[in-house]
Amino acid sequence: MKNGFVIFLAAFGVLLMSWSTFVLLPQLQLGGAKQVAVLNSSDVYPVNRPGEANQGLQVYRANGCAACHTEQVQQTGVVCEVVLTSAGKNPSVVSNLVATLKLRSLTEQEAEAAAGKITAAGGKAETHVIATGADIARGWGLRRSVAQDFLYDNLVQLGSLRVGPDLADVGRRRPDANWQLLHLYAPKSVVENSAMPPFRYLFETKKIGATPSPDALILKKEFAPAAGYEVVPKPEAKKLVAYLLSLHTDVPLYDAPFTALQTSTNAPAK
Amino acid sequence: MSNEPKSPGPGTEPTASRSHLPMWTLVVLLTLLYLGSIYFDHHSGWFDKQVYSPYGTAAELELYQPKSGAAAAAAQGRKVYESICGTCHGNDGLGKPGQAPPLAGSEWVIAKGHNRLAHIPLAGISGPLSVNGKEWNMAMAAMGAALSDADLANVLTYIRGSWGNKAGEVTADDIKGIRASLAGHSQTMTYDMLMAMPE
Repeated sequence: MKNGFVIFLAAFGVLLMSWSTFVLLPQLQLGGAKQVAVLNSSDVYPVNRPGEANQGLQVYRANGCAACHTEQVQQTGVVCEVVLTSAGKNPSVVSNLVATLKLRSLTEQEAEAAAGKITAAGGKAETHVIATGADIARGWGLRRSVAQDFLYDNLVQLGSLRVGPDLADVGRRRPDANWQLLHLYAPKSVVENSAMPPFRYLFETKKIGATPSPDALILKKEFAPAAGYEVVPKPEAKKLVAYLLSLHTDVPLYDAPFTALQTSTNAPAK
Repeated sequence: MSNEPKSPGPGTEPTASRSHLPMWTLVVLLTLLYLGSIYFDHHSGWFDKQVYSPYGTAAELELYQPKSGAAAAAAQGRKVYESICGTCHGNDGLGKPGQAPPLAGSEWVIAKGHNRLAHIPLAGISGPLSVNGKEWNMAMAAMGAALSDADLANVLTYIRGSWGNKAGEVTADDIKGIRASLAGHSQTMTYDMLMAMPE
């Protein structure tokens, strides 16, 4: 081993290189990340989740949800589509023109060109930007996940295995807290072929008192407890559901742009 | 093979001889380096923290920012509205009792023409008037006079198209015309003055 010191230096250099590219550089680049503005809006993103939902993150962690669920939406492409918003004063000319144009699955330049032709003919058109990819086709999100999404997560529950669906946007897909509770207590009662184990220890089965509990689950017959008993969620279940409902990645950001249809946040809640 | 090392005698350490790097290895390595750098150029985004796949470069990402069309105009209008008008009229357009009348469903906002509506932020308004069948007697300064034509047009388009309102859009040229007609005019609008002008 006459070159022992040289070999040590080389090994140390390799370790130093991977440490600086995987730890130091990302820390320098994203360590100071702050809230950013939502595209075309005065809203900021992300907003810290409420306390109950933050505690729910720890319940999510404790129950190992990340073993079967990811929280990262992938995006493989981006397309534009041109939408005719007004036919203008010569509707027949514009509609004849539109019939000859390709309006979907365009690149940005093609879309601008098509919109320009429609405007030149007297109509009005706008260009929508749409994220594409297998995850987005499944309805798991409207755009890819970016670093910004995890700003207030401690620890970040990225996950790497998808036995169940991705949960990055589950608060938008499944906004009903009751559905979430039923799904945790008896997954098969709401999703027929669910592979998820029931998390019954997050609930309490107890004798119905003088008056039934207001938050007792309304279960289907085959999942319901014995007569005279009711299933009530423990605080952990409520926290976990609050966390799940806080998972939203449905706002357009500079890093991951898309055209948000229905931009109005004033729409009445469902 | 002449350059093969001679088999070492018993009891000696094995040694390796030196030989030149074959030319074909060098060519393969340089080709790989060249292809790798092309791949890097197309896919690295030059390690910009805002560039994620599928975008290759910051310029490409910039290209795909939604900007054209009514959605962007209304979005810009909303931004300006919420920073200036929303303080009194409310981000929900419902107004605030004793402070500002509602804009949602207001006959002044959803009127067929935007002429009277555009005069209010450009010149201000004072004195009694009715909104949604309720009497108001307040004063509003010319809050819109400092905005650019495009911004004010976007705000008016936004309030005419939000919270259930469904009136037409206002263009920057409309505002330009009305602003020009108000040049040298320092009085705030009143109900009678607005009613005297075309809708």
